[in-house]
Parts: sequence; C-alpha cells; structure tokens
Amino acid sequence: MAEKRGEKKKTTKEILKAKLVRRKRTPLYHPVVLKTLRQEFELWRNSSVRKEDRENWLATPHTVLGSQIPREMIYTPLHNPDLDYMQDLGFSGQEPFTRGIHANMYRGREFTMRQLTGFGGPEETNQRMKFMLDHGGTGVNVLFDLPSIQMYDSDHPFSKGQVGMSGVAVDSAEDMELIFKDIPLDKVSVSLVTHYPSNTAILFPMYLALAERRGIPWSKLQGSVQNDITLEEVVRSGPEYIPPKDCFRMQCDNIEFIRQNVPLWNFITFNGYNLREFGTSGVTEMAVALANAIETIEEMLRRGHDADWVAERIAFFWSPASDFFEEVARLRAVRRLWYKIMKHRFHAKSPRSMWMRCHAQTSGVSLRREEPLNNIIRASLHALASVLGGVQSLHVDSFDEAYSVPTEDAALLSLRTQQIIQTETGITEVVDPLGGSFYVEALTNDIEKRILDEVDEIEKIGGYVTAIEKGWLHHKIAEYFCNERKSIEKGEIKLVGYNIHPSSMALPPIHVFRYPEGVEERQRARLARLREKRDPEQVNSALNALEEVCKKRKNIMHYTVQCARVDCTEGELFTVLKRAFGLWKPPVLW
Amino acid sequence: MPIRIKVLLSKLGLDVHNRGLITVAKELRDAGMEIVYIGNSFPKEIIATAIQEGVDVVGVSSLGGAHLTLGGDLMEAARREGLKEQMAFIIGGVFPPADAEKLREIGFDGVFVPGATREEIISSIRKIAYGKMNKSF
Repeated sequence: MAEKRGEKKKTTKEILKAKLVRRKRTPLYHPVVLKTLRQEFELWRNSSVRKEDRENWLATPHTVLGSQIPREMIYTPLHNPDLDYMQDLGFSGQEPFTRGIHANMYRGREFTMRQLTGFGGPEETNQRMKFMLDHGGTGVNVLFDLPSIQMYDSDHPFSKGQVGMSGVAVDSAEDMELIFKDIPLDKVSVSLVTHYPSNTAILFPMYLALAERRGIPWSKLQGSVQNDITLEEVVRSGPEYIPPKDCFRMQCDNIEFIRQNVPLWNFITFNGYNLREFGTSGVTEMAVALANAIETIEEMLRRGHDADWVAERIAFFWSPASDFFEEVARLRAVRRLWYKIMKHRFHAKSPRSMWMRCHAQTSGVSLRREEPLNNIIRASLHALASVLGGVQSLHVDSFDEAYSVPTEDAALLSLRTQQIIQTETGITEVVDPLGGSFYVEALTNDIEKRILDEVDEIEKIGGYVTAIEKGWLHHKIAEYFCNERKSIEKGEIKLVGYNIHPSSMALPPIHVFRYPEGVEERQRARLARLREKRDPEQVNSALNALEEVCKKRKNIMHYTVQCARVDCTEGELFTVLKRAFGLWKPPVLW
Repeated sequence: MPIRIKVLLSKLGLDVHNRGLITVAKELRDAGMEIVYIGNSFPKEIIATAIQEGVDVVGVSSLGGAHLTLGGDLMEAARREGLKEQMAFIIGGVFPPADAEKLREIGFDGVFVPGATREEIISSIRKIAYGKMNKSF
C-alpha cells in the first residue's frame, strides 16, 4: 500500500477513481423506462411549465455558510439514471453506509443530547452540568475559558479580566476534580472540548490524573476530545502559535497515546464546525476535515500502526446551517465518501473504521441579534436537518447567543428542542427518511463529488499541513467570509428581521446571562495555594523531561500525563512547548 | 481632500474569534483608511502601539465576554496617556444590550454589535475621527 519513494503519489481521488471505475453496476431503472420518461419529461416541460420557469430552471439558494449549489425546479429518476441501489445506498448499517451507520439508527439508540457547558469557575460549571443531566441531558460537553483555550494560567498577565469567560477556568488537575465533582466518570460519556492538539496534550492528562485519583481505571473512561490542528492553526486567533508541523505531530502523539491507553476514548474529532463557522461552505468544511483525516491516518501508518486500529475511534463534528436539503444531503454524502476512502484507500477491514460517526452543533453564525426569538426556529431547523442526516449526537445553539453565553432557561430550551424532535414527532422511527427522494439522492451525489474535488485540490498542494503552512486555507476562508458579508449587505442572502421584513417595533428587553463575580480572584487564590503545596522538584523534573522529549521523536503524552499527576499547571506546560518548538506566524488575512 | 484616517485594529486579549475584525480591516482599507492590524493584544500594548504609530482611531474586537474588564483597562490607559481627546476609540463584538450602553459610558466613542453594516461602520468611524481631529487642531 505504501508508495515507493520518488514515485508520484496518487491522490485520494485518483485512487478511488481507479478502484471504482471498473466496478460492474446494476442500474435500478430500466433503460427503456428511462427513455419513455425522458420523452414524457420533455413534453411536460414544454407544455405545462411556464416559459419564465423554463428559462430560470436552475435556482441557487443563497444562505449563510451555504455552498451555492444550483437546484433544478424538480427532480426525477432522470437525475440519477445510473442508480445502483446496493452500491450507492445499500441498507442502513451496511456498506456504503449512505443511509446510516447503524441498521436500526435512532430506534436502537437515541442521538446523544450533548449540550455545551462551561462558564465561570469549576464550581459553577459543575452545577450547570448537573442541571442539564437532571433535565434529561445524556452527555456532558465541557467548554474551557479563554485563558485555558489559549493555554495561559489564570494568574498570567494575559489572562486578566478573562478568567471564566466563554468557558470554565482550569489550571491543573485539581480544577478537573472540581468540574467533575459527583459526576461518575465511569458512567457518563464526557466530551472535553480541548480544541487544539496543544491543549489536548495538556488538559486531557489532567482528566486522566483525576480518574487515577478516584481509582477509576482509564479503560472505563468514555468520551472524546477534539485535538484538531485546524482549530489551533487556522481558526484560532491568538497571541502565540507553535509551527503547524509540530502541532500536527502532537495531534498524532495524542491519538497514539490515547488509543494505546484509554481504549474507549475518541481521541480526535475532526472538527469541521469551527472552521465553517469561521466562514466557509459546507463542502469545504467536509473536504478539510477529510484531508486532515487522510493525512493523519497516513502518519499513523508511517508510525507502524494499522489503519483499522486508528480509524475505529475517529469521529467528526459538523455545523448544520440553513440550506436545509444541502445539510441533509451532505451528511449522507460524507458518510459514503468516508466509507470509500477507508475501504479503497486504506483497505480497512473493520466496518467500524468505515463509519463516519459524528456530532453536530447547530450553526451559531446563522443566528441573529435582531429578534432573537427567531433563532429558536433557525436552530430547530438546523437540528432537524442533523437528525434527518443521521448524526450520532447533537448540540442545539441557544437563541440568546448573539448576546452572551446562554442563560439557564435558554440552555434548557435547547435541550427541550432536541427532546421534542426525539419524542414528540415520530421523526426518529424510520431510518434515513429522505433516502430515495430523487432530489436528495441527486444532491447527495453532487455534494460527494464536490467534497472529493476539494480534497483533491488540497492533496495537490502537497497535503493538509502544507496547505496550512502556505496559508492557502486561511486565504480561502477569508475570501469566503468577506464575500458572504457582501452578499448579506446586497440582500442576496436574506435574513428575516434583518435585511428582509425588518420590524419597526421596539423589541422587548432580553434577559441575558451575567458571568458570576469573583471567579478570577478565587481561581488565582487556588492556583497560589497549589503552587505552595506541590513538590517543586517533582514539577521541575516533569517539565524538564517534557522539554527533552519534545525534541526527540517520542510520544510526548506520556510526559504530559506525568506533569498532570504532579500538578504542573497548563501555562507551565505551554511554556515548555513554545520553548521546544518555537513560534510560528500565521498568514496575514486582511 | 480629507486627511487619510489611520486605524489600529486589535483583538482584545485572548479572544479567539477574528472573522469580524478581519472583515472590518478589509472594509476600512478599501474605504481608503490606513490599517495597522496587530492581532491579539492587551490594553497596555494596544495603547503603546497607538502612540508609536500615531493613529487616529483605535478599534478593538471582543466576542468572548471580556469587553468590560479589558475594555475598561483600555480606556483607563487611554485617559492616563491623555489620548481620549485626540484618538477615537471604538469596540465591536458580542455584548448584552446593557453593556453596549456601559461601554459608551466608560469612554468608547463607537460601539458596534452584530448586524452593523459596512456603511454604518465606515461612516461613523469617519465622523468620530474627523470630529476628534477638528477638536485637537
């Protein structure tokens, strides 16, 4: 499978084309029937369809974060004449998994209702998490505060005024203990939103240290981290960056260590979400995540691992936005494409490796500040598209997020939105209910091609890490979001209550979330006590050992775990990483 | 011919969201202003750079909740350096409605929330900046 050095490496698209072109197909539609249908269609089009409709046969939905894919006025079997049911769709839980990764889908298991939680200190977040679980939430999803995301301690000068904002403050394993107080780590599935490879390498070990302190074996821990270079090097704005190649190495170190030591843990969530929200189409979102996944598996093969061993625990994270059918179709499309990549490029044997398992969060950028209650409707439609597309878990954004972190009431309403879809509508009783729609199947095919074309573009640049280093991806995104802004201002993209049907009425005041007081002081005081009571020799030797290993080709996570055990702080570890790897300047985008 | 407005733009503190600020940087540049874009920075550094570059406008962006804490520090540093009369200070981002009012009270000359159009941003920056220039002459 490994290409010989010097040989021109084939791209994924080329590999798939070579494998699939000679496959014998069994078309569902009889050619004679199609021929008659084509005649009938032309007759209808020329007699019953108005001239202006014929002339404007293609219409392109202009939506926030949309892919601007032109649509015909009506779809028929003629749009998919070559349809081979078993090859293109199959049954659910069966190759090519277009219709879903499990045979019984939501009949077997409800989608996990995993609402993001995190603000203030560990104590406040612990309370909100319990509130959500008490009201029927089925998973935990912890978001970290700005200093923790950017890897500075709460007492660092950069952190002033921002501790506990946008997420929960965490400096050491001790804070992890407080965040998860009374939450049974061996029973609840926990998603730690450690966006970056760097902060995954630092924060996840604190969670592992917490499990050790509670006497829970790592083999019982269930959940996920994000661990995605895209977020650290492309989506993030921050004061300091390590170079992309070191970041990618850490992403792979984290995967390797977690796979070996925490067997039920999902060690990477290829995150399309934040990239798309930064500003790009649903097609690019998926192409980028796949390109990253392909390069990651290749690196794991280079390290001597088996493709199935890695791929069985890979997960994805998507942002369903407002072009409803595009959203449903692209979830189906990427599921089929991922299957093809795993099967034909990496020769996976385990069906699990071919499953595109995913979490979805409704699109935040699609929400508006004007008439915030309208956002409830937008998020419900995004959530509906996700469920019709067959996602495994879901977060519904709250209507007040253009103002601040959601209030408790707003967060509960988001959970209720999911519960209503799940229990009151009957939607989840039938697997892939839109499968077989002439329109959805044609759009699924179209989007699959578009995603693969963009993967190809990235591979031709020299691969994903190179595409980041060269700034290609950064510029593509910046161009997209600036154009999108122009389209909104020109009124091409219509937003109800903003650029179409604006309301002249004064709006009722909105009750918004206020951050709790005193978090920064409390966090600094706890950190000062920690620095007092821990063993400085152990701390120094753990940090020194980490710095050494960064410069070698050994897995760093063994060492970051040791750092967490002896209560090193997040900022101390980041300082070591910066010293060992140096700093990188991302491209200028404006 | 009006004087070319020079604008310093910065992400306030550790906030990770820069889509809005990049968009505004391009729009102001295309409207003929001179842009000094410094990425993520902190109140003291922002003020030091503003003085060093001799800018007319300081624009900061905050979507992560630190608009009052860091925004307050920024305006305090601006007053300490006596910049309030000669430079315009503007802020954009995600704020609760009451905070948008408070930001004006602590000294921001312009406050922009999601939904502000290109035209609104450019014209109000021009108005505020030329207003300050006339006063300081």
